[in-house]
Amino acid sequence: MNYLLIFVPFIALVLVNLLPKKLRPISSFLVLLLILAAQSIFAALAPFGLIRAVGAVRMEHLFGFHLLIDNLSLLLLLSAGIVGFSALMVAWHSIKDEDDRFNFTNLLFILLIGMNGISMLRDLFSLYVFIEAIAVSTFIMILLYKAREAYEGALKYLILSVVASVMMLSSIALFIMFCGGTSFEVIKLSLVSSGALARIAIALFICGLFIKGGLVPFHGWLADAYTSAPAPVSVVLAGVVTKASGIFTLIRLLTAVIGFSPATKDLLLIIGAISIVIGALAALGQKDIKRMLAYSSISQMGYILVALGCGTRLGLIAAAFHFLNHAIFKSQLFANAAAVEEQTGSRDLGSLGGLAQKMPVTGITSAIASLSTAGIPPLSGFWSKLLIIIALWVSGNYFYAVIAVLASLLTLAYFLTLQREAFFGQVSVKVSSVTEASAGMLIPAVLLSAMTVGLGLVFPFVIKYFVR
Amino acid sequence: MTVLFAVLLPTIGAFILPLAGKVSKLLRNILALLLVSCSFILSLILIPSALSGHIESFRVAFPLGLDFVLAADPLAVFMALVSSFVGSIIVLYSFDYINHYENQNEYYAMVVLFLGSMMGLVYSQSLIYLYVFWEITAIASWRLIGFYRSPKDVLKADKSFLVTAFGALVMLIAFIAIFGMFGTFDLTVLKGHVLPGVLIGLILVGILSKSATLPFHTWLPDAGVAPSPVTALLHAAVLVKIGVFVFARLFLFTFNIGVFWHTAVPVIAAVSALVAAGAALIETDMKRIIAYSTVSQIGFIFLGLATGNPVGVAGGMLYILMHGIAKGGLFLTAGIVEQNTHNKDITKMGGLISTMPLTAVSFLFCAFSVMGIPPFGGFFSKFMVISGAVDAGQIAISITFIIGAFMTILYLFRMFNLVFLGEARGKLAAEGSKLMVFCVVLLAIMSLGSGILISYPADFVRIMVSQVGGIR
Repeated sequence: MNYLLIFVPFIALVLVNLLPKKLRPISSFLVLLLILAAQSIFAALAPFGLIRAVGAVRMEHLFGFHLLIDNLSLLLLLSAGIVGFSALMVAWHSIKDEDDRFNFTNLLFILLIGMNGISMLRDLFSLYVFIEAIAVSTFIMILLYKAREAYEGALKYLILSVVASVMMLSSIALFIMFCGGTSFEVIKLSLVSSGALARIAIALFICGLFIKGGLVPFHGWLADAYTSAPAPVSVVLAGVVTKASGIFTLIRLLTAVIGFSPATKDLLLIIGAISIVIGALAALGQKDIKRMLAYSSISQMGYILVALGCGTRLGLIAAAFHFLNHAIFKSQLFANAAAVEEQTGSRDLGSLGGLAQKMPVTGITSAIASLSTAGIPPLSGFWSKLLIIIALWVSGNYFYAVIAVLASLLTLAYFLTLQREAFFGQVSVKVSSVTEASAGMLIPAVLLSAMTVGLGLVFPFVIKYFVR
Repeated sequence: MTVLFAVLLPTIGAFILPLAGKVSKLLRNILALLLVSCSFILSLILIPSALSGHIESFRVAFPLGLDFVLAADPLAVFMALVSSFVGSIIVLYSFDYINHYENQNEYYAMVVLFLGSMMGLVYSQSLIYLYVFWEITAIASWRLIGFYRSPKDVLKADKSFLVTAFGALVMLIAFIAIFGMFGTFDLTVLKGHVLPGVLIGLILVGILSKSATLPFHTWLPDAGVAPSPVTALLHAAVLVKIGVFVFARLFLFTFNIGVFWHTAVPVIAAVSALVAAGAALIETDMKRIIAYSTVSQIGFIFLGLATGNPVGVAGGMLYILMHGIAKGGLFLTAGIVEQNTHNKDITKMGGLISTMPLTAVSFLFCAFSVMGIPPFGGFFSKFMVISGAVDAGQIAISITFIIGAFMTILYLFRMFNLVFLGEARGKLAAEGSKLMVFCVVLLAIMSLGSGILISYPADFVRIMVSQVGGIR
C-alpha cells in the first residue's frame, strides 16, 4: 500500500508521457485528478479506521529505504491531496496554453511524489533527495510562463535553496563520516552518544529546513517566489510545498529524532513568535493580494512553530491541525486571488473594490477563509488556534500565548483591509464590468471553504480521534 | 431539547434565507420573522421550568473540557426573551425600511444569524461556546454595519470589528487562564470559584469593549452609519447588552469577585455615563446622540449589577429590558425620520410633529422611559439601580449617576424640541409606512405598559436574583 503512493504517480507520469501528443493534456489532467482524489480520501478516512493503513513496508531489497505511514504521514498526504486537487483545478482554467498546462501537470506529478515520499520516509538522506526533487520542480514551475519578474522570484528561491541544500548535505556528510549512517535510529543513537558533532550536524540540517520553510529571518525569498509564480503554482506552493519540505520535515525530525530539550523548545518558540509578529506586520502594509497572503503564510508558519515549541502532545496535535487548516485556507485564498486576477487583470488592492457584488461566490468564500485564518469562530482556523493557545498556556509559556492571541488581531486587521479594498465596499469604476469567475475556478474555492466551515462545526466531534 | 431548538433554528435557518430570497422576497421576509419569533416562543415555553428550578439543559460531552452545554436558567431565559422580542419587532420593521436597498438577502441572513448566535450566547454554559457565539455576533455586525458599502461605512464596520475582537481576544486569554487553573470551560463546574484580579480585569476589557463603555466606546457612535434597524439591533437591544449579560453571567452567577471590583466597576461606569451624556448634549447627528445615550445608559446597568445587593442587581436586570424596548423605539423612530427627510442633522429639522404625529408621540414615550419619568418602565429600573447603589453605601457615585440621569433628560428633550417642535428648518416629510409606524407605536406602548405592569417582570427578576450566590 505504502509504496503505491510513490509508484502510482510515478508510473502514471511515465505512461501519460508515452501517449499520443493530442491526448496528453487531458489524460494527464484526469489521471492526476483521480490520484489526488483517491489519496485525499484514503488519508481522510484512515485515522477513523475506515481504510486500513498498512504499517512498515521494508523495501530494502529495492531502494534501501523503508516507508512507514503513521498519523503524521496521513496529515501531509491529506494536505497534499487537497491542495494538489485545487491547484490542478485552478490550472485547468487559468493556464491557457496546452503545452504549459501539460508541463504543469507533469511537474505536479513530481511534486506529489516528492511530498508523498517525505511523508513516509525515516532516513535523512532519502528525505534530502525528495526535498530536492520538490525544489527543482518548483523552480521550473515558477518560471512556467518564462515571465521576466518570475526570474527574480525563482532566482532568489534557487539561491537560498542552494544554501539550504549545502547545509543539509554537509550535515548528511558529517553523519555518514562520524556516525556511519543517516537512518533515524542511527542519528538518534549518535545524538545521545557522540554529543557535540552530531548536534552541529543536526543543527545544520534544521537551519536548512528553516530556509526551506521561509521562517523569519530566512524569509527573504518567500514573498517574491509566491508573488511572481503563476496562479496555480502559488496555490500549491503556499498551500503545501514549502510546508512539506520545511515544516513537515521539522516536525518529523523533532518527534522521531531530536526530541524536545529546553534549548530546542526555546529556539522554536522564539523563531515562531518572531515569524508570527513580523509576518503579520509585513502583511499589514502590502498592496498586492498575493504578497499579503505570502507574508500571512510566514506568520501562520510561526503559529505552527510555537505550537511545536510547547513540546507537549497537545502542542503537537495543535501544530498538526493548524498545518492542515493552513493548507486548506491558504490555498483557497490563493485560488481566490487567482480568480480575481483572472477576471480583473489586477492584484493591486488600490484598483479593486466592491468585487463581492460582481463575484459573489469568490467574495463569500474569501471572507470565510480570511476569517478562518484570523481565528474567528466557528471556522476551523479558530479551533487550531485555540488548541495552540491552550497548549502554550498549559505548558507554562504565558508570554508566547499572549503574543499568539494578540497577533490574531493583526491577522484580522490585514484581512479586513483585504476584504475592504477588494471585496466589501462600493464597486470601483475599474471593475464595473467584471463578471464571476468560471465554474472551474470556483469549484476549489467552494470545496475548500465548505471544508473550513464543516471542519469548524464538527471539530469538537472529531477531536477525540486526534487527542487519542 | 427546547433550548437547543431555540438556538439552532435561527442560527442554521439564517443560511436558508438567501435561498428563499431567490424564490420570493415575501417568503424570505416572513421566514426571517418566523425564525426569530420561534426563538421568542421557545423561550416563553422555557419560563415555567426556569422558574420552578428544574432548569432544562442540553449537553454533549467533548474532550479537553470543551463540553457543549446549554441551559435555560432564569437569567438566560430573561435575556433571550428581551432580545428575541425586540429582535422580532426590528425584523418586522425592516420589511419596509430595507426593501429598496441592495444586498437584502445578506441583510436578513445576518440579522437572523446575529439573533441566533445571541440565543446561543445567552444559553451557553461554557466559556468557549460563549466566546464562539460572541464572535459570530461580531461577524454579523461587521457585515451589517457596512451594509451601505461606501468606503466610510466599511471603514467603520472594520473599526467596530477590530475593537470588539480586541476585547474578545483579551477575554480569551483570561478564559484560557481559567482553563489552565481549573481544567474546564464548563461554567456549571466553575461556579463559586474565586478568580484572581488580573483575570477579572482581562475579562472586563472584553465586556467593556462589547458594551461600548469607556474607554472602548468609540466604535458605537461610528457604527451609526448602519441602517436604522441595524443600529437599533446593535446599539439598543442586543449587541451592547452582550457585555452586560456576560458580566452578570460570569461575575454574579458564576465567579466570586472581590470587593475592589464592586467599587471599580461603578467608577468606570460613572465616568462612562457622564462623558457619553456630555457628548450626546453637543452632538447634532440624530443617531449619534442616541448612540451616545446608549453608552451612557449602559453605565447605569453596570452600576446596578456591580452593587451586588438584590435591589441593585434586580434594577440592572430590569434596566436591560426597559432600555432594550425604549432605546429600540428611539432608534426606529429616528429611522423613520431619517428615511423620510433624508437628513440626520437635528439642527436642520423641526416641526415634524405636525406631519408625523404618531412617530413624534412614540418618540416621546420611549424618551420618557429612557429618562426615567414615572410611570414609564424606565423609571422603576433607574430608581432601583440608584437605590441599590445608595444601599451599598456608594453615595458619591449615586450622586454622579443622578447628574447623569438629569443630563439624559436634557439631551433627549433638546433632541425632541429640535426635531419635532418649533418651526420647520428643513423640509417637512410625511409619516412613515404603516408597518414601520406600527412597530414604533408598539414599542412606545410597551415602554408605558412595562411600567404600569411592572410587577410581572419584577417578580421574574426577583426569582432570578434569589439564585445569585455572591449577593450579600
